[in-house]
Order: sequence, then C-alpha cells, then structure tokens
Amino acid sequence: MKNAIELKNVSKSYQDFKLDNINITIPEGSIVGLIGENGAGKTTTIKGILNISNVNGTIKVFGEGHQKKEKEIKEKLGVVLDDSFLSFYLTPKQVNSVMKEFYKNWNEEKFFTYLKEFKLPLKKLIKDFSSGMKMKLKIAVALSHAPKALVLDEPTSGLDPIVRNEILDIFRKYILEDETRSILLSSHITSDLEHIADYIVFIHEGKILFTLPTSELLENFGIAKCNEEEFQKIKKEDYLRYKKEKYSYEVLVSDKTKFKTKYHLQTIDKPSIDEIMLFYVKGCKE
Amino acid sequence: MKGLIKKDLYNLSSYKMTLLIALIFCSCFVLMDNINFGPVIFSVMLGMIALSTFNYDETSKSEKYILSLPVTKKEIVLSKYVLGVFSSVLGAFLGMAITIVLVEIYNMVNTSSAISYSIESLLSTTIGSIFGVSFIQAIQIPSIYKWGAERGRIQMFIIIVIIAVVGVLLGSLLKGVDVSTLTKIFNQYGLILIIIATILMYVISYKISLKIYKNKEY
Repeated sequence: MKNAIELKNVSKSYQDFKLDNINITIPEGSIVGLIGENGAGKTTTIKGILNISNVNGTIKVFGEGHQKKEKEIKEKLGVVLDDSFLSFYLTPKQVNSVMKEFYKNWNEEKFFTYLKEFKLPLKKLIKDFSSGMKMKLKIAVALSHAPKALVLDEPTSGLDPIVRNEILDIFRKYILEDETRSILLSSHITSDLEHIADYIVFIHEGKILFTLPTSELLENFGIAKCNEEEFQKIKKEDYLRYKKEKYSYEVLVSDKTKFKTKYHLQTIDKPSIDEIMLFYVKGCKE
Repeated sequence: MKGLIKKDLYNLSSYKMTLLIALIFCSCFVLMDNINFGPVIFSVMLGMIALSTFNYDETSKSEKYILSLPVTKKEIVLSKYVLGVFSSVLGAFLGMAITIVLVEIYNMVNTSSAISYSIESLLSTTIGSIFGVSFIQAIQIPSIYKWGAERGRIQMFIIIVIIAVVGVLLGSLLKGVDVSTLTKIFNQYGLILIIIATILMYVISYKISLKIYKNKEY
C-alpha cells in the first residue's frame, strides 16, 4: 500500500517546546486522527507537513519531498487550519473568484453546491459568520479542487455536536468517493475520531506515545478495576499504565481478553479514547 | 500571484470613501491654486492604502493559510510589491489627470481668473511623488515583514528619521563644496536618475523582504 504522507524523525525546537523525532505514516485510503492536548505538537506537525515552518527530518507527501515539489503537492492537498483563513473581509463569492486563481483544478460549481448545502450566504462578509459557518466555508474551499488528501487542523473545534456530525459525514463521503484519498485530522475532541479515524496517533509533549488502529484501541484495550492485593499480583509487562484511586487501582491493558483470563478479574471496561489518553498522561507505569 | 493580488484588492474595496476624501482635498488645492498637490495626495493615499493589506492579513491571520496554498514565498512577497508599485503609480497619474480635469472645469467656469498650469511641471511632481511613495514603501514593506504590520510602523518611522538625520548631516558637510556640477547633472538627467533610483530601491527592498520572509515562522 502506498503512503499519502510520511514523516520520518521530524523534529522542531522552539524556546519552550520541542517536537521530538516523530514518525507518522498516513496510508492511502485511510483516515488518521492526530490526538493530544492543546500544545502537544499537533499544529506544529501539520505546519511541518505544509512547509509553513521549517522542520528537521524527512517529510514525503505523495512520495515526493515536501519542499522539493511544494507547489505540485499543494495543488493536490485540501487544507483547513483552525485559526487561519484567506481573509475574513471577503464574501464567499469573492473567495471563489480568488481561489480559482490558485488551484488549476478549482471546481466553481462544486464550491457553490457546497455553499448551498451548508446554507452559507454568498454575499455576506466572512467576519460576520458564526464559527460554525466559518468552518463550513473553510471545508468547502478545501474540498472544491478535488484534492488527493486532506490535512485538517482541528476542523471540529468550537462547533456544536450537530454541525460536528455534519462535517464528519462530509469527510466520510469524501473518502468513499475515491479509495485512494486520505485524511490527516487533528483534534482534541477524541469522540469525533472514534467514529471516523482508521488510526489514532497520540502525541504528548512533542513525542508520539502510540500509533494504533482505532478498532484495536476500542475493542482490545481495557480498564481493569482491582484492589491493592490483586494489583500487586499483576506483572509490569501486562499493563500499560495504572492509576491509584482512594481504595482501588485502575489498570489500562492492551489486550483485555488475555488479561481477564490470566488474572481472573471480573470488571474490565471498554475505554474511550479520552480515557486511554488520560491514562497515558496522568497514569503511572512503574 | 494573480490570486494574491485579487485577494488584496477585494480586501481594499472598502476604501472607496477615502478616495472620495482625496478627491475633495484635491479640489480644494486646485481652488487654492496649489495644483501640484493633486498627484502627491493621490499617490500617497493609494500607496499607503495598498500596504494596509498587511493589516488585513494580520487580523485574519491569513499568513499561515496563504503558505498552505500552491504559491511560492517569492510570489507572496512579490505580490505586495506589485500592488505597492501599481498603487503609487496609479495614484500619481490619477491625481495628475484629476487635477487637469478640475483645472479645465474651473477655467471654463471662471474665464476671467483662469488658472495657468504646465503639463511638464505637473509631470515632474507626479514622478516626484512616485519617488517619495516608493521610498516610504521600500522601507515600510521589509519593516512590516520583520516586525509585523502594527509594530513595523513605529520601526519604519525610526528608520525614516535616521535617514533624514543622516541626509541633513551629509548636507551640512557638503555646504562648503561646490555643487554646481552636481546640479548641472541633475538638471540634465534628473528624471532618468529618479526613475533608476526608484527601481533600485524597490529591487533592494524586495530582496531584503524575501530574505526576512523566508526565515520567518508563522
């Protein structure tokens, strides 16, 4: 299987933050969710891919060096950035007239169809839009030049659950239309990713803690609840992290069926990605 | 690059009122017999308005987004210069044309107290204003790239003050020197020299801006 985007040993140092040798692969046809708390390095990673900031390491997009064939690559990428857009002093109609100058494949008809579908006014200044409307417009722009891959930085932040669902549906439809398309999607709203992502990459303080298929995280991972005596019997290699509560222990395990048979524990819950994240950030290993 | 300029022009489309004010000012100066002010007012106004696109970019935080589009950094920087040069030249000649029209109308109405003017002197004011605006732009654009649209303004004034002080000092040093040859050269080749100086300033300024922009992190 070909890779749409590949990051090898990518690093970036700022005064108070370091992106530390990260490796991410986005296979063609897949949706990869990049999760992590605010300031974990999600946006820095995306800025690296788009060559908005210079990073060390190797980044390949559609098999080409991301700096060498920058313009060609960007023709084929649809981008949504959380806090940045072309201009908020334009109307969607003017956005169309500007964007067709940037992309050879710009599809005016498709753009206006999206605007209609999203119920966005044609002649209103974007600065007067609600945050949901702004995001929908950014997504419409990202999808209107038949991109081969989407790079989306927090496309669902600040939106209500109904709009978020609508947007996730659009992404699903985009992938279904052509199975060679791929999406890299960063979010701190992990429930969104549970429904859509094939893989989850968890980034914490500039380091990648895990890259796993979403199905494995949701189906195989488990949280076992036990008392002190039971906890002492558990071998270190059999759990990923643990949390000590007032009278009990909670243990995160990667294979709940195996764990259950080995230690005969009754309560092993299916965790959400949020809970797994919390275990990695707040839990202990030793 | 066409897309970038189009975006800036759309951003600027709200400045119609300012142009109207420039027109009123221009008419006042014509009535006061200071007809050479027309090109100056228009080129300064349009030249400055063009650079306010940096403020629009800053408030929309569009720098990052623009870098994600299929354009090179060279094109991004060049587009600002194209807009700057175009607006100051357009402003100056528009000012000149409006002045001529206003004077002609005035002269038609007031045949007894007609205003006399020479196209040559108006043209030299026009070229002079383009030079003045280009000088400010050549300093302002790299300053904005270096320090941002808001902070860049203060730094720009500091640089202009420094250049003015150096100019005055040089002038005082040259006081005793016979400058008649210099004056002669200037009278003969002044126009060409000004045009060459304007182009040179823009080229140097563009190179500096591009270097700053390439190293900048958004």
